[in-house]
Amino acid sequence: MPEPTGTGVLHRVRRVRQSNAWIFTTMLISALLSLTASFVLSVDAIVLAADPQAALACNINAVLSCGTVGASWQASLFGFPNAFLGLVAEPVVITIAVASLGGVRFPRWFMFAAQIVYTLGLIFAYWLFFQAFFVIGALCPWCLLVTLSTTLVFTSLTHVNIRDGNLYLPDRASRAARTLIAHDLDVLLVVLWLVGITAMVVIKYLPLML
Amino acid sequence: MSKQGKSSTQGREALRRRQQAQAAAERRMKTIVRTAWIAGITVIALIIGITVWSVTNARSSNTAGGAPGALVTPTRATDAGALRFGKDDAKVTVAVYADFMCPYCGQFERANGASLDAAAEAGTIVLDIHPMSFLDAQSGGTEYSTRAANAFVTIAEADPAAALRFNQLLFANQPGEGTSGLSDDQLASFATQAGASGEVIASFAKRTFVPWIDQITQQAFDAGVKGTPTVKLNGQVYSGDIYTPGALMTAIERVAAGA
Repeated sequence: MPEPTGTGVLHRVRRVRQSNAWIFTTMLISALLSLTASFVLSVDAIVLAADPQAALACNINAVLSCGTVGASWQASLFGFPNAFLGLVAEPVVITIAVASLGGVRFPRWFMFAAQIVYTLGLIFAYWLFFQAFFVIGALCPWCLLVTLSTTLVFTSLTHVNIRDGNLYLPDRASRAARTLIAHDLDVLLVVLWLVGITAMVVIKYLPLML
Repeated sequence: MSKQGKSSTQGREALRRRQQAQAAAERRMKTIVRTAWIAGITVIALIIGITVWSVTNARSSNTAGGAPGALVTPTRATDAGALRFGKDDAKVTVAVYADFMCPYCGQFERANGASLDAAAEAGTIVLDIHPMSFLDAQSGGTEYSTRAANAFVTIAEADPAAALRFNQLLFANQPGEGTSGLSDDQLASFATQAGASGEVIASFAKRTFVPWIDQITQQAFDAGVKGTPTVKLNGQVYSGDIYTPGALMTAIERVAAGA
């Protein structure tokens, strides 16, 4: 992979971006955020389950005033609160990130499996986001944090797996993906995506809060 | 020697051509990358621009409709900030704090609305309805809670029985949380269905009771109401089941018997 050369700040930033330290630190912080959000949502789910009357009210002081997201069938698609999945999955990501920061190289099949599982997680996170946005018609701040941090874990994991050739891609695809990353076009894609999602949320919900 | 020389010339030529091709490919790549960056940043700027424009637009249209008028207190209003239905000498006062946008208030009304209205009509209870508007933020800038509450209070001024029917109709046809709510036309047609006169319906647009609704919403917060629906029986918060039809009525009978 062509290393960005030169000594300017931009070049240094670009070089750092490809380093293990940067990638796995991003992954670690995002996974920690995701774990925190999952924890809060899990506790909420338990509190709601313990007090069904409180669950069925529009709370005056809460940001999420009616709790319709938490009480929806989508919020426990598999028969238990979705947030439990975060409690199970994120510690694995944290372990991978910390071990990698410590210099561990995981086998190719391992990283590939992590990619598959996390991709499913990402799809699920966005399915929930779109359900909340278009069907339930309410958003919860902790759910948005999960959407954001899941995206960042996914992109950092994908970044490292493309860089290290862990994805069993055909040669051409692999080369194209690496070129994309070498030119930081992945950053552009992620920023574009996040700006788009943010715009959706802001356009729909900010006027309601003014 | 000469043969070798020839092949080395050929080799140099081929090398030069390969270098040229490589340089061209690199230039092409550079152009593609630069174009992608420019396009990407343009799209990002565009999205940000649209977002800012749409938010400022929504904001100005929001403030345009909402110039607050003078406080007009409805004739059926209580000091606690409710509209009173029924006869004052009933043994049990049932206070209901609700917002027309609140999904659980809808569930509550669908379970209890008909029985409560009948009991108020029969004189067994006094029904105090607090039409709150704190969920205005959940209706896409259309302030459904306020519009619906104002329509409800306006009808009640002229015809209390029609207002109670209107109340039930709105909850039976409740819009989802986060949607723009029922339109003014839809409110008018439900008002007609409830039996309100055309004159009354025409006066919804004056937003006569909006300041009062704002006031009683704040008054409910100050009184310690933490969410909707909140039900009080003779001033005591009722914490039993309010979603199973009949449960609340049983509790009311018990209070009436004890009183």
